Amino acid sequence: MAFLLLFAVLTGLEFVPQLFVPSGVQKFNTLRDILGTLNFFLLLFAAGLGLFIISAHLRNRSLKMVFTKPCPPYVWLGSAFLSAVIVALLLDLIVLGGMTALSLFWHLPVRTGLLFVSADTFIASIGLAAYLMLLATVLHPAIAAILAIIFNADMFYDGFVWAQSAIRAGNHSAGLRVLDRAFHFLYLAAPILHPFSRQTENIYVSLRVMHDEWKYLLFSLGYSLALSAFCYLIALSALQRKRHI
Amino acid sequence: MIRAENVHVNFRRGPFRRQIQALRGLSLEVRDGDFFALVGQNGAGKSTAMYCFLGLLKPTSGSVEVMGLVPDLGRAVYSSVAYLPEEPHYHLYLTVEEATRYYASLYGHRVPEKAIHQTLEQLGLAEFKNLRLSKCSKGMKQKVGIAQCLIHETQLLFLDEPTRGLDPIAVREFRETLREIHKRGATIVMNSHVLSEIEMLANRVAIIEAGRVVAQDDLSSLLAPDRGLYSVTFEANGSVPDYLSAVERQGTVVTAQIPQDKLYDFMEFSRASGLALRECSLKKTSLEDKFFHIVRGGQEPVISAESERAK
Repeated sequence: MAFLLLFAVLTGLEFVPQLFVPSGVQKFNTLRDILGTLNFFLLLFAAGLGLFIISAHLRNRSLKMVFTKPCPPYVWLGSAFLSAVIVALLLDLIVLGGMTALSLFWHLPVRTGLLFVSADTFIASIGLAAYLMLLATVLHPAIAAILAIIFNADMFYDGFVWAQSAIRAGNHSAGLRVLDRAFHFLYLAAPILHPFSRQTENIYVSLRVMHDEWKYLLFSLGYSLALSAFCYLIALSALQRKRHI
Repeated sequence: MIRAENVHVNFRRGPFRRQIQALRGLSLEVRDGDFFALVGQNGAGKSTAMYCFLGLLKPTSGSVEVMGLVPDLGRAVYSSVAYLPEEPHYHLYLTVEEATRYYASLYGHRVPEKAIHQTLEQLGLAEFKNLRLSKCSKGMKQKVGIAQCLIHETQLLFLDEPTRGLDPIAVREFRETLREIHKRGATIVMNSHVLSEIEMLANRVAIIEAGRVVAQDDLSSLLAPDRGLYSVTFEANGSVPDYLSAVERQGTVVTAQIPQDKLYDFMEFSRASGLALRECSLKKTSLEDKFFHIVRGGQEPVISAESERAK
């Protein structure tokens, strides 16, 4: 956490000179960059919450104090996850409020994209926290973090693209075809942070939302909730099988 | 209240996943209203047995029932159960007061502030109520554990080494509190290495050795005087008869044991030699003696007739 804060402060210092620029365009670009950076930290923070919200209790074995009371594991797990989500939401609202205040301070129009990007980040942080909560319930938190960083949808997508290019270039070996299928399957199965990033990338640039683009927020929420429910159920099953002694 | 039948627990530990048999066919019965003590050496399986009763550990085979139900984590049956763990595995970021309130609130109903403050006061924790558990001493953490056990009037208490880390005054007060709880009708299951404490508190004892119960009975039956042996204390300067055993001399004072069939011979001897006899009584057995006798002496299992019938 201290490292994260230090990193945030150092990154924040980069923006200090830009706060004194006169042009509206430059101000808008700075606002967008700050929003992007803060949202990145929000996602990192959500990942940290997911990583430690269960594993910290598992590692210091305090769960024996909880599960020997009439508090079923599903309730405890649900409340721990909801706590993480509420903290993420509060931080997200603070960032949104701060960005709105900065827009007003700089006499920039408060664009609906601010709300969209903040909501999208919050939705992504729900799925991310749930995914890391699951990994850290089953594995050591360090291994879970490495797994989440290395083996993710982007890596499998890159692998899939590489295998496709090799096949198109004339390499039709069976091994490559198996790899191609495997990468494709893993890409589809691995959790995605922003499942509609291609459809919404313009919003992140212009901070403007067209009428028919709000639906992607709903789709993302659906995806994130489904992913969270899946992770919750697997984590619950793992939690119930663990020896809390 | 609690029934365990032929419970086996196997662990796999170490890099080669070596199998460890923590419990090997443990069977015991705790009756309603018992103050039941589990006694055994380190690694005998006392805590493992308690974990099985609490549902924290699923037996590899065999069955465990608590209040007629299989203990599963977080079930409603836990509303009647309080547990004090051996190691204080608490939420260390909470303060003494927060932890007491949090553990009490896990029973699903609001705990009056007055009850929390009274319990903290009773255990001498009131002045440390704002101290984080991470900063508390072992004894203070133990008291927090005791506080969360006492705050609700539960029917069944599991205490794993409850007096570990407590100062002598706290030990005595805690003992009194346990007596009161037991008088109220609660069933208490306690693990302890302090055999004298068990003798003072428990009414039933199970001695566990290598994962199985080797003796289980009422404490009074287990410690019944040995009718075949008398203990004598007398003053003598010269030699003592050969049939005396366990002879200990402190100056002229001799303490020894006599088999019952030699008692009259000894009386004759003492009259003839003019011995000053100080004491002669049936030899009392302490729990420590009994424990050593059973664990070290390789005695056959002593299971009360009642337990046999229960099986």
